[in-house]
Amino acid sequence: MGEAASSEVTAVAAATSSQDPEVGLAAVAALRGLVEVLEALQVENARAKGWSWQAIAAKLGVTKQAVHHKYAGGRFRLRRESR
Amino acid sequence: MIGRSEHGRRVLDLAREEAARVGHRYLGPEHLLLGILRDGGSGAARVLQAQGVGLEAARAALGRLAGRGVVPGSRPSDAELLGTLGIDLEAIRRDTEQTFGRKALGWAIREATRARRGGIGRVPRTPLESPPVLATQALYLASQHAKTLSRGAVSPELLLLGVITDIQTPWPRCMSNPWVRQLHASVGLPEGYRGAAGALLAALGVDLDELHDAVSAELRVAVP
Repeated sequence: MGEAASSEVTAVAAATSSQDPEVGLAAVAALRGLVEVLEALQVENARAKGWSWQAIAAKLGVTKQAVHHKYAGGRFRLRRESR
Repeated sequence: MIGRSEHGRRVLDLAREEAARVGHRYLGPEHLLLGILRDGGSGAARVLQAQGVGLEAARAALGRLAGRGVVPGSRPSDAELLGTLGIDLEAIRRDTEQTFGRKALGWAIREATRARRGGIGRVPRTPLESPPVLATQALYLASQHAKTLSRGAVSPELLLLGVITDIQTPWPRCMSNPWVRQLHASVGLPEGYRGAAGALLAALGVDLDELHDAVSAELRVAVP
């Protein structure tokens, strides 16, 4: 346990990234968590710059309903109400 | 809620360090015990030591619990996992914070993990936030004790008392919804995890009532 074990894990992870499902799946899950945050950041930024849902959806490669359903009703709605 | 004293905050930071040290990607009540012992300078640590609980013994006992599957074994951190894909998590954190600001990043993390209609694109946690705190009831009970004992801040002794009462109190039902289960599974915890502090103290041969009385004596009051 401890620092030695953790560096061992790193070495193992680096050596078998795609072979060991334990590491591979966890890595993909971490990546998805990262992607969702970056997407939320970019969508919020685009909305703040006055982009339409349609334009955002086109860039993300999804329908405008999908992006609206996912992100409308969060901070954007609050912001509109406060104006 | 009553805030933590400086000493209490230090114990919490050490608990986080202890969790990371054994490769646990969450903070549970069991790590609070390790944090108290690692700090060593509080009445709570003295009480534990008087009961025959030392830092090394507690670390070893936690290792044995991991062997039994009560707590997870060592798992790679998100930064290490993303490293295997060639992604530098720290660089991304630094760049996004610089570009969009800390506040916007915090909002985006909440947005990605919030319960949406239909749960579209929801993730249980993201690598950009610190490991989830699964010791909330222990921390809440500690602050409740601070209130009833009219203390201004949560000291390490009150934290220990919170951990003890947490063991004796069942976790509320909100801790067993599908999203909480998803979060627990994502950090490798077995199903039905309700804190391993009780198992840790039992493995060390500590009598809970005796420990409770000793902490109460340390606080020089009778706690119901």
